[in-house]
Amino acid sequence: MITELFDLRPIGAPLISALCAVGIMLLGHHSGWRIALSLAASALKFVVVWSMLPGALAGKVYFFSVGEILPGLEFAFRVDALGLFFGLVSSTLWVLTTIYAIAYMRGSHSLRRFFGFFALCVSTTQAIAFAENLLTLFIFYELLTICTYPLVVHSGTLEARRAGRRYLIYTLTGGAAILAGMILVYQATGSLSLSTPGLLEASIDERLLLLMFVLLISGFGVKAALMPLHAWLPTAMVAPTPFSALLHAVAVVKAGSFGLMRVIYNIFGVDLLATLGYHHVLAVIAAVTILVASLVALRQDVLKRRLAWSTISQLSYIVLAACLLTPLAALAAVIHIANQAFAKITLFFVAGAIEKTTGKKRISELDGIGRTMPWTMAAFTVACLSFMGVPLLAGFITKWYLSVGALAAGAPVYVGVMMASAILNAAYWLPVLYRAWFKPGEHPDAPPREAENLLLWPTLACAAYVIVLGVGAQAPAMPFALAQSAVSFAFGLEALTP
Amino acid sequence: MHLLPLTALLPITAGALAPALFYRRPDACWWWALAAMLANLIAVSILWFELHTGTTIRYPLGGWPAPYGIELVFDGVAALMLVLAALSVAIMIASRRYINATIPKGRRSLAYALVLINLGGMNGFVAAADLFNLFVFMEIFSITAYALVALARGPVAALAALKYLLVGAVSSLLVLLAVALLYAQTGSLNMADIAARLAAADAPGASALALGCLVVGFLVKAAIFPLHFWLPDAHASAPSPVSALLSGLVVKMGVVGLVRTRILFVEADVVPVVLLDQLLVWLGAIAVLAGAVLALVQRELKLMLAYSTVANMGYIAVGLGLATSAAVGGALAHTVYHAVIKTGLFLTAGSILLCTGLSRVDDLRGLGQRMPLTCGALVLGLLAATGIPTTAGFVGKWQIAVGALEAGQPWVVGVILAGSLLTLSWAIRVINSLFFRPPARARVIIADEAPASLLIPSVVLALLAIAGGLGGAVLLELVEPLTTRIVGQPS
Repeated sequence: MITELFDLRPIGAPLISALCAVGIMLLGHHSGWRIALSLAASALKFVVVWSMLPGALAGKVYFFSVGEILPGLEFAFRVDALGLFFGLVSSTLWVLTTIYAIAYMRGSHSLRRFFGFFALCVSTTQAIAFAENLLTLFIFYELLTICTYPLVVHSGTLEARRAGRRYLIYTLTGGAAILAGMILVYQATGSLSLSTPGLLEASIDERLLLLMFVLLISGFGVKAALMPLHAWLPTAMVAPTPFSALLHAVAVVKAGSFGLMRVIYNIFGVDLLATLGYHHVLAVIAAVTILVASLVALRQDVLKRRLAWSTISQLSYIVLAACLLTPLAALAAVIHIANQAFAKITLFFVAGAIEKTTGKKRISELDGIGRTMPWTMAAFTVACLSFMGVPLLAGFITKWYLSVGALAAGAPVYVGVMMASAILNAAYWLPVLYRAWFKPGEHPDAPPREAENLLLWPTLACAAYVIVLGVGAQAPAMPFALAQSAVSFAFGLEALTP
Repeated sequence: MHLLPLTALLPITAGALAPALFYRRPDACWWWALAAMLANLIAVSILWFELHTGTTIRYPLGGWPAPYGIELVFDGVAALMLVLAALSVAIMIASRRYINATIPKGRRSLAYALVLINLGGMNGFVAAADLFNLFVFMEIFSITAYALVALARGPVAALAALKYLLVGAVSSLLVLLAVALLYAQTGSLNMADIAARLAAADAPGASALALGCLVVGFLVKAAIFPLHFWLPDAHASAPSPVSALLSGLVVKMGVVGLVRTRILFVEADVVPVVLLDQLLVWLGAIAVLAGAVLALVQRELKLMLAYSTVANMGYIAVGLGLATSAAVGGALAHTVYHAVIKTGLFLTAGSILLCTGLSRVDDLRGLGQRMPLTCGALVLGLLAATGIPTTAGFVGKWQIAVGALEAGQPWVVGVILAGSLLTLSWAIRVINSLFFRPPARARVIIADEAPASLLIPSVVLALLAIAGGLGGAVLLELVEPLTTRIVGQPS
């Protein structure tokens, strides 16, 4: 039973980060103010967002409307299960990333700009999660592009500017496609609300539906790095590591995946899409992306680039799972938002910590790093194993539900894709682990030299959470129940029993 | 209440007296001009509130009722006066420093006088209910505009002013010819009266010719492609506050003229306006793309902004031409919002020019470090100009796109999106140059933040531009009655 409640928290959460950004822009000359504001805002937001969890689990939907901005279109926020799930992930990771960024960015230039836009970027992500309608979502989706640009080109080098330009060309063109699709949807239905399990109706001309699907999916597909729209992602790695971590884990790419899920579950709806059959094509594209990106990742020697290609591959898990249109696969899609986020951000934190501590960027230089940085590499190992799908870790849960869902959808070929992907993941992560733990380094007897505490703790916290997600997914207060209610809403089920 | 004629007479009188009154102390003239602008703003605000509590305000000059006497009317079109009044105050605040720095002492009072007379002319133009006064006031604001462009010294400005003068004169002549044609057929000059009598005159050929002349005349004033060629040089070479005035406000008078023409001919119902609509859609669509591409290849900031005006006038033309209520509402909203955005952009570009003396985008590298607020305002304005959602520029584009689908012309949506992306691509170049590249010029390194009188108008307008989209529904509701009049009843 869903009850709607008028509440300030849906707009409060994005507003906290936005005000934090304004504060940093005004007072950020002093590092003290900058750090205090960032930490206080991220902690406050963490509390605000998590405080909505008990209510949401009890079936409450929090709602806040600012007012109409265009005829018939409200600027409104509504925290449903899917949105809150994404919101929880992003607000939790903001706290950890802020701590990490404070340590990592020490001594860099333009820190006021960096932390200001960092907070803005989180604010827009939160607003995307809580958007009540497609217009509100789109507003913040475009703002996210704009806010992330200064972070991508932070270093100001030619390489960074090139990457920034490519990033903008891809994402803004994608944005234009979404806008076009959105206008078509609005014209056809007179609404853009995301609060229904399926806004479009089967009575609409099928060619028009196809056009909407192509425009919306390709638009969101850019940020979700679906092949062949993925090329911006590996080059955007020039950004400072804390931001790359956030970009790859929650902010940008997940906004794309989240948008895709909104299009599939709330704009088209499961029933309509099943009769139209467009999801088969999208599933094939996602499966190809999973495999091809993994193959490319095998060939990368720079650690961050391997991570980038692995992200492309992992993101398509979400798309593939969403496209299978069975409840269990949908569950995999929702929880993979969290699973991929925590595991991937761990890997990025480790890559950054290694680079900051030892200056090493390439995998071939990592011989024996496990001896010098044992705790960091332990976190790395956990995340890698999770990606390979080792049971009791987060990644396994995704693969399990996705495979079961694929069988239920009558498409066992995707179980094969899961197996192949697990093997490929093993093929590009195990050599790194082997080098780190078993190959002797240049100075085998050198004492351990861990990364500094502020870099290490967030990393360990993320890795610990990967284990928690894998072991304790069914525990009562976990967001897992939230994912279940999101799925049962999309499929119109009373209760979902996995 | 005699406020309505006052809106035209007060600025014109104040302007005419200014050079004589301030012959010895030209710098004090700024206070005089600002006071006149503020008085005008108050008068217009009172009129505007009356319009929204009661009905249309009509004022017969000298007590002679229309159609025999001259009539001024404060209706939905004239409500644009509020935008004119408010923005001209902002321009006046910003122009003091600029005019003191760039214009020799002897001619400063002249500059203020011209701006005042220009404003009075525009006020009269939007309020005129008869064609002859429409023409007279058009000449008043046009001639002062030529003179204002020529205020900037230098060969480019002189040539631009001359070009502007010649083209403007031709367009004025066309409008005069149309006035004569309509008067010959109906014996009246009052627009409502003409609309009522034109059908009885039974001269479709002459009516069509009059319509054609009016449209071409106003297309020139509105700088709709391909009649835009006078605009970029004139707007870019004028002193920056004047650029803001011209690009933000004066060019909108062409739109007002088109709207008045369309209302007249929709009510008269003698010549089908479908052809006019199609023409506007096509020219507007080409203008959107051509303006954006031409802006893309410019190197000077002000030229980019001037070409962006060409593109934005294209959006307005498309909206008017689509003739559905959503699209026309969008065009009117865009008229208002583009005035805000472009005034702000030119004022900001002006303070950059004044503080650094540099105008090429490549020379402005790294200025974001030295003038963060001014450059920030410029960036916000540019984002609004591209029509990122919830900025002021988004409202018009969204409504026009929705209207295009209603009108069954979906290709227009593609044009609008392409125009926005092209605009973004040059906006990004400017943003990159300002914020993400190391300085290339010594003058950038020693530049300081602009003084408050330049900074405050820039920042306020930039914030309005970026948040304006949130008020989109309100604005569209305000222009709703006018939209219905322009679209007309489906016959």
